[in-house]
Amino acid sequence: MLNVEGIETWYGAIQALKGISLDVEQGEIVALLGANGAGKSTTIKTITGMLKPSKGKIDFQGRGIVGWEVEDIAEAGIACVPEGRHIFPGLSVIDNLILGTTPRKNSSKADIDRDMERVFHLFPPLKEFKDRLGWQLSGGQQQMLAIGRGLMSAAKLLLLDEPSLGLAPVLVQEVFKVINEINKAGTTILLVEQNARMALLIANRGYVLETGRLTLTDTAANLLANEEMKAHYLGAHAHVKEARQRRREAGRSKANSSRE
Amino acid sequence: MDLSTNLQMLTTGLAMGSIYGLVALGFVLIFNAVNVVNFAQGEFVMVPAFVAVWLMEVFHVPYPLLYLITVVFMGAFGIAFQRIAYYPLRNRTFLPVVISTIGVSIFLKNGAQIVFGAEPKLMQRPTPPDALNVFGVFIDPQFIVIILCTLALLVFQHFFFEKTKLGKMMQATAQDKEMARLLGIRVAKMIAITFAYSSILGAAAGILVGPIFYVAKEMGGMLGLKAFCSTIVGGFGNVPGAILGGLFLGVVEVFAAYYISSAYRDGFAFIILILVLLVRPQGFFGEKIAEKA
Amino acid sequence: MCMNPRRVKPLLFVVLALGVLVFPKVVSSSYWMNLTNLAISFSIACLGLNIVLGYAGQLSLAQAAFWGVGAYTSAILTTRLGMPVWTGMIAAFFVAAFFGVVLGIPTLKLSGHYLAMATIGFGIILQLILINAIWLTGGSDGITKIPSPWIGSLELKDPNAFFYVAAVSLLLFTWAAIRLKGSRVGRAFMAIRENEMAAETTGVDSTYYKIMAFALSAGYAGFGGWLFAHSASHYISPDTFSFEQSVMLLAMAVLGGNGSAMGAIVGAVLLTLLPEVLRFLKDSYMMVYAAGIVLVMIFMPGGIASLVKALKVSHRLAEWWNAGSAVTQEIAGVASAGNGSGPSKFPATVADGPRSNGALLTVKGLAKHFGGLRAVDGVDMEVRRGEIQALIGPNGSGKTTILNMLSGLYVPTAGEIVLDGVMVTGQKPHVITTHGLARTFQNIRLFGELSVLDNVFIGQHCHSRAGLVPSVFRPPSQQAEETRMRKKALELLKFVGLRGKELAQAKSLPYGQQRLLELARALASDPKLLLLDEPAAGLNANETEALVELLFQIRDQGVTILLVEHDMSLVMNVSDHITVLNFGRKIAEGSAEAIEGNQEVINAYLGAEVGNA
Repeated sequence: MLNVEGIETWYGAIQALKGISLDVEQGEIVALLGANGAGKSTTIKTITGMLKPSKGKIDFQGRGIVGWEVEDIAEAGIACVPEGRHIFPGLSVIDNLILGTTPRKNSSKADIDRDMERVFHLFPPLKEFKDRLGWQLSGGQQQMLAIGRGLMSAAKLLLLDEPSLGLAPVLVQEVFKVINEINKAGTTILLVEQNARMALLIANRGYVLETGRLTLTDTAANLLANEEMKAHYLGAHAHVKEARQRRREAGRSKANSSRE
Repeated sequence: MDLSTNLQMLTTGLAMGSIYGLVALGFVLIFNAVNVVNFAQGEFVMVPAFVAVWLMEVFHVPYPLLYLITVVFMGAFGIAFQRIAYYPLRNRTFLPVVISTIGVSIFLKNGAQIVFGAEPKLMQRPTPPDALNVFGVFIDPQFIVIILCTLALLVFQHFFFEKTKLGKMMQATAQDKEMARLLGIRVAKMIAITFAYSSILGAAAGILVGPIFYVAKEMGGMLGLKAFCSTIVGGFGNVPGAILGGLFLGVVEVFAAYYISSAYRDGFAFIILILVLLVRPQGFFGEKIAEKA
Repeated sequence: MCMNPRRVKPLLFVVLALGVLVFPKVVSSSYWMNLTNLAISFSIACLGLNIVLGYAGQLSLAQAAFWGVGAYTSAILTTRLGMPVWTGMIAAFFVAAFFGVVLGIPTLKLSGHYLAMATIGFGIILQLILINAIWLTGGSDGITKIPSPWIGSLELKDPNAFFYVAAVSLLLFTWAAIRLKGSRVGRAFMAIRENEMAAETTGVDSTYYKIMAFALSAGYAGFGGWLFAHSASHYISPDTFSFEQSVMLLAMAVLGGNGSAMGAIVGAVLLTLLPEVLRFLKDSYMMVYAAGIVLVMIFMPGGIASLVKALKVSHRLAEWWNAGSAVTQEIAGVASAGNGSGPSKFPATVADGPRSNGALLTVKGLAKHFGGLRAVDGVDMEVRRGEIQALIGPNGSGKTTILNMLSGLYVPTAGEIVLDGVMVTGQKPHVITTHGLARTFQNIRLFGELSVLDNVFIGQHCHSRAGLVPSVFRPPSQQAEETRMRKKALELLKFVGLRGKELAQAKSLPYGQQRLLELARALASDPKLLLLDEPAAGLNANETEALVELLFQIRDQGVTILLVEHDMSLVMNVSDHITVLNFGRKIAEGSAEAIEGNQEVINAYLGAEVGNA
């Protein structure tokens, strides 16, 4: 469904993405992982059109979407729940959800009502607080609202950027359960997450980003078992350990010589 | 110090405050949409006032139609303004934009003078000139019209923004432009509509206040500045803050002019502004914005 | 180019002097002479505006009001109290400057349109006072028969005679403004303009300098007002000193080119003479003028000065002019001496205190609450002298908040910070810098429009002293100080590897070099403790390697380093000690190996297994 090839994106003067290629097949959950600053959000912004890549192409259902306006990409069927939720603070829960339907064409009121009921079913607190304004909701409720709003667009591909950020562990569990359910019901998902373990537990496949490059890709099960993952996240690569060892030895001799 | 005089002044203050509020509202909507402080907002009041007078004098257009034409004209004016004065500067930093809107303000003032002549004009009143006796208080009916019309406009605006999808889309654009785009909301269109509506608010203010003052090229200058003060006093970027700030300034101005000094009448708005900036810079209803390191 | 710029400078002076002497002979009509005097009066006011807006970046729309204060002060003193006009001149400058301070103090925390509105309000209130304080100012009737200045027994009534006073004043004030720009005070102004937050953390007391900028610019305007009052029609009235006039002065400054003294003069002259030239436009003149302003903002926001600077001719002229200057020679000198490879030392005057492994920085119970959000929730930390410590943790764990509290940008909600025995909790950033702390920023906060060299100069602000007067008059002590600072700056730049880029504009540097420049600037203040906020963000592998080397060299010279970083390879490589945060609390600390194997840390980063999905 989504085919990204050789994307290079610049953030001002920094090259944030140095040649990214990934695929998302229909019906999958694909996890995009990596440490902070690795380029995960930049990848999402490039796909949604917020950032224009300097090189590479992106195909969505056979159509190249690089260079398209953000609004047009949304209408093509890609919905995004960006990092930090971004619900409209001055609008009510219902209004936020209704605005989520903006890219839909040819949907009847019945369709929209049905989808809203579905969102309320997935996230009961939203139903309870449906007239509350965005800023009055808690962090977890805002996250639910953001995802629900993403669902209201009846999008074919849902991009989720760090849905667990800032949420207490219990809520994280809830949210991932719902993400799984949404996927089983037919929505394809590209999931960006810092919490690699939780993401891989529900994903089919995963990609690991490190400073703008993809360094690891495999099925979720393999990645979970892979000790290398720890190195990618905690910088415990072999070459780093060696450098440290060398330096320690050099330091010892240097300290000795400076004492003379 | 009698009650009747005070009530009279209160009405005057509320009427002038309504005008300040309308202009302030126009300011705030543009600022929320595109982060620009429009120093030409006062001219959005002056231009329609001149247009209305011209239609009255030259074509003898009857009142309801007159207002309709003026309002439509200003809607188009707003969109033109956005295209010419704002759009080329949308990526510039603060200073060039401020100077540019000041330049437009001067352009409009002098343009009006050339097109309509240098003499101040009198706008005919739609209301009778005799003061109404309301419970022993003598009130200029035009003031009552101003207050009522402003209320009606606010009700309409509330309905539009809160109950229609387009209104919600505009609110969304003002609250989070990037997210709005991600949802497929055509932000460029929302911005154009914002400018148009802001100009229409100016048209309303111009038509309402025209009969009370002379319609002259300087009409908008002080008005715009005081409206700007209103938004800061009420809480910058805040819609209810703009209206309430305007009402507050209007009332305080009238009372201060009577009880303290009428010579410094124009200065009170700015004195209050400076006091508010010192004590509570976010205004009565605004929120603190801190710069992130 | 065969002419030595050193010989040309005095020649230029002679040419200017001759020009001034000859000018009135050339201009025969008194009408045009009066206009020239008016243009000079505006020019000086514009020079003042250029100082507060162009140099210091504070938008002031009250300049005409100060112009009026100067005019009225002198008019009142000379007509009512019979004082000599020269006394009036001095009074005009200082009374206006005083009002500048009055405006500057309450508006310190304001910027952007808030500041603009406050200055507009101030100007309008001042004008109202001029109109209504009839006992003092004569009200709307104004003040008439303002006397001309006398030199000995010569009354300078004739516009030609007055011109000499005006022209000499203009030359002096311009000279002062240009001198100011290239001095410690001028650099402080520009640092505030470019990035006030970084200026503060680099050691510049922004409060003091902002007030100084307002006072100075008001003083200039006041002097311009004095010129206006005592020339031409010898009559002033409040109508002249309006908001519209302030706008006109602003337009002049911006047309000429914000930040350029010569530009301010060109703008003022142009907009004073333009109405004469465009007289045929009659009523449409103002419209054309306004449209012109808008067009200039759209196509040439840097004004005429930017246009001139862009010309190739200007480049070559500037190069030739600078070739003889001390700066260039020193740069060449430092470059040729020591082309050696290997780690160089950087000039550090870090006091050789006890090199014990005591704690340099102690933090107890540090907390920061933003409303209900506990960004930092009771953290105890210690940074030992001479170590490199890393502060790590997932997104939102409070790392940058802690750095901001250490450097004085945030006032802690609770807790205390002790730096080398001094309690610095809640102090202002520039004060903390004098106690020996320097920092860099996550998003790089350089003084972009300034040169690389100037950025490092400003880093030395708190260890230099030249105030306003020495900056303009440049006595030997000031010159010696500048030479010392320049030498140190050049060596610092050599140390970080930016040799050859000294005169480049900071924002033109590629990203990696900008980070190095920020590092050099931080080192320039001789810090005991260096705080680095994500120093490797955006760097490629080679640049990161070079950074690691630099960090070790810096540490080896006795500077303690505390860094916040996401690049875990770097952290593991470089750190002697690591502190880990999560949700605003410290969850672990220790050596790299200890942290690597710490399960809580692993959970914090990789995510705990929460329930069954």
